[in-house]
Amino acid sequence: MVRTKEEQKKVFQELLTPELPALFRTALRMTRNREDAEDLVQEAVTKAFAAFERFEEGTNFRAWIFKILTNTFINNYYRLRDRQKVPSLDEMEEETSFQPSLEGVTPEEVLINTLTREDILRAIESLPLEFRAVVVLTLVEGFSYKETAEILDIPIGTVMSRLHRGRKLLQKLLWEYSTRKTPLEKENEKGWTAKTL
Amino acid sequence: MDCKDLVEKLYFYLDGEVLTEEERRAIEEHLELCRKCCERYEFERLLWEMVRSNGRNDSIPETLISRIASVIAQF
Repeated sequence: MVRTKEEQKKVFQELLTPELPALFRTALRMTRNREDAEDLVQEAVTKAFAAFERFEEGTNFRAWIFKILTNTFINNYYRLRDRQKVPSLDEMEEETSFQPSLEGVTPEEVLINTLTREDILRAIESLPLEFRAVVVLTLVEGFSYKETAEILDIPIGTVMSRLHRGRKLLQKLLWEYSTRKTPLEKENEKGWTAKTL
Repeated sequence: MDCKDLVEKLYFYLDGEVLTEEERRAIEEHLELCRKCCERYEFERLLWEMVRSNGRNDSIPETLISRIASVIAQF
C-alpha cells in the first residue's frame, strides 16, 4: 500500500509514541548519561523514520526500533573509553551463594529489604556492555530471548549465556552494595527502599 | 524433578520462556514440596521483579518529547 508522507508520519508516530519511555530508559542505561541518552533516542528515531518504508507492517515494531537504537549506540556512542574489561567467569562466580535459613532473617531477606533504586541502577550500569544490553532488554524491558537475539544480532545461545553471567554479576554487585552499607545508611534509606518504589 | 533440575530451569520459568507444559507442572510440583527450592524461587522472583520495576521507573523528559515531535514534523 502506497502512503503519502503525511500518512506515513502518522503511522510512524502512532507506533513510536508508546515505545518512547522504554527507548529513553534503555538509552539511559546504555549511555549512563541523560544528555547522550536524549541525543541517542533522537538519532535512532531519525534513522528509523528514514528506514520506515522498509518496515513490514504487522511485524514487531518494538523489536525493530530497539535494534536501531542499540546499533546506533554501538556505532556512535560506545567509545573506546567505555569498553570495560569483561570480568572472567571465575571472578563473577565468586558470588555469595544462596543460603536459605529455616528461621530468622535470611541474608536474602536483608538484601531485598535494604536495596535501593539507586543500588539497582548503579549495578545495572556497572555491567560490561555485552551483559548490560542483554539484562536490560530481557529482564527490564521484557523482550523474549529470541527477540533479544534478533535485536542484538547474536545467537539465542549467546543471549542465554550472557544473561546467566549478567545475572550472576548483577547479584554479586547488589550483595556488595548491600553489605557495604553502614547501619546508619540502612536506617536512612528506610522508607524508600527499592521494594517500595 | 530434583533440586538440581529445578535450579537449571528456574530462570526459564521466571522469564516466561518456553517450557513444555510437563516441565512447568514438574517445577510447580517441586516448589510445593521442597522448602529450600521454594525459598530460593521466592528470593529470585522478588529480586528480579525489583530489578524490573526499578529499571522501568525513569520518566521521559518533556524536552525529549518536544525534540522528537519537532524531528517528526520536519520529516
